[in-house]
Amino acid sequence: MNTNELYERLNMVFCDVFDDDSIKVGAATVAADIDGWDSLMHITLIQAVEDEFSIRLAMKDVVSLKCVGDLAETVLARTSK
Amino acid sequence: MVFSGLTFIYLFLPVNLILYYLSKNQTWRNTVLICLSLFFYAWGEPFCVLLLMFSTFLDYVNSLIIDRYRSHPLIPKLMVAVSVIVNLGILGIFKYSGLIVSSFNAVTGLAFPVPEIALPIGISFYTFQTLSYTIDIYRDEVPAQRNYFKLLLYVSMFHQLVAGPIVRYSHIANEIDHRQTNMAELSSGINRFVIGLAKKVIIANTCGQLATTYMGAPVGNLSTASAWFGLFVYSMQYYFDFSGYSDMAIGLGRMFGFHYFENFNYPFISRSVSEYWRRWHISLGSWFKDYLFYPLMMSQGLRKVGKAAKTRFGKRAGTMIPTVIALSVVWFATGMWHGASWNYVVWGLYFGLFIILEMLFLDKLLERLPRLLRHAYLIVVVMIGFGIFYFEDISGLLPFLGVLFGMGGHADPTIMLTIGSNIFFLIIAVLFCTPVMPWLRKWCIGKDAGCEAFIEMMHIPLNILLLVICTAYLVGQTYNPFMYFRF
Repeated sequence: MNTNELYERLNMVFCDVFDDDSIKVGAATVAADIDGWDSLMHITLIQAVEDEFSIRLAMKDVVSLKCVGDLAETVLARTSK
Repeated sequence: MVFSGLTFIYLFLPVNLILYYLSKNQTWRNTVLICLSLFFYAWGEPFCVLLLMFSTFLDYVNSLIIDRYRSHPLIPKLMVAVSVIVNLGILGIFKYSGLIVSSFNAVTGLAFPVPEIALPIGISFYTFQTLSYTIDIYRDEVPAQRNYFKLLLYVSMFHQLVAGPIVRYSHIANEIDHRQTNMAELSSGINRFVIGLAKKVIIANTCGQLATTYMGAPVGNLSTASAWFGLFVYSMQYYFDFSGYSDMAIGLGRMFGFHYFENFNYPFISRSVSEYWRRWHISLGSWFKDYLFYPLMMSQGLRKVGKAAKTRFGKRAGTMIPTVIALSVVWFATGMWHGASWNYVVWGLYFGLFIILEMLFLDKLLERLPRLLRHAYLIVVVMIGFGIFYFEDISGLLPFLGVLFGMGGHADPTIMLTIGSNIFFLIIAVLFCTPVMPWLRKWCIGKDAGCEAFIEMMHIPLNILLLVICTAYLVGQTYNPFMYFRF
């Protein structure tokens, strides 16, 4: 899976979780950039990403995630295992 | 020994600074810090210092085992379980055994003798810190500390041991071995410490005296206005005392090269309860988020609940139902953490309820309201929360709430006099609940560079002035409550 495809799929997940089709995420996107992305929705987002890529994220990934770039890296790491 | 005490400010701290800055290398400096921290703790609790060292030793060993057997399918999980059981067990025995037995008696009608164990100071803070350390090692977030004394330094550091902030090992792991000290940092630390001291000694203690008069009065003597006034000053006392202590802790850390995260961010300017809890006792909220809320939400149990709910009731229910369950548990625990008394659990669930309601629909509603109403909503909710917090004996709460809303109570003609004679003080106190200093600073820096230089220059005379005022207060004051004996 190349980077473009990865970000496209991630974007789909974001649009779905936050009910907003206008969302466009990039590597530098952080929680403050997306309306509604707080600690309560964080887990919903994580689980949606897990479902989309058929992976399981570790607590370490959940807690230390700072931006979408981190998320993308983690997804890549887990899917290539 | 308390930070806001003459012994600490004029004896312990100067000795600490001198010994630290005279030390030739990091090892000596760390040794000075550990010895003085253990001494500080033992000053108040000579035997419980051993409990502290034991709790630290346990998690030290646990984490080394986790590290050694990381690839083993069972051992790491087992060690985390051991850590959880022992740390919470220690907390349970020392803090909650009285409550457990008396509640058991109340429910069953039996009469077991209720244990009255003295609560070791800071136990709620350090058990949470050592537990978070073990879990962080399990999560592979930070390398395990191979030197027991360095771990002990982290746990026993007197800055944050007694009243927080709850510092994570991963935040200061690097600083244990590599600390930068220079005049700027020392000066910044002293500044922060003096600000915290002033908040505590000048503002909090004064509010506290007023609060004791009104909150402690027999409910029949209170009028609606005086009941609200009592809540108002009590809320401010708690904010200035607790945030002042955090300021002192952060300032102390700075003086020795440690950088702890902020614990308060002007909570009273919040516009929702959810926002308030991102600004009040931040280190506790984030502890419960990382170590209770997230694990619960990611657990097999709640995932299954979520999937079932989604199938039966739709996507939103699939998200909301597990979140509501997890939030309820977290807020029950948060309430419980604050004290071994059921009113604290009610307090926790009270805030949990507002957070849940805001998440479900209240936030959207609030967004449509004018800003002033949103602030008023938050202030009222928070003040009533403080009311619940105050009445450890919950039977006192309902009559008080009654008076708050106009039922019962007694006319109190003196309330206007009290407010009048304290009006300047109260205005200043309210002013400092807002980020007036950061705003002033930002405005000033925007104006011209000379302004910024002026601010920097004013720090030292201002600190000296505040220190002199605080010393005068402390010399003359008999009312200097220490509110953290319950933790």
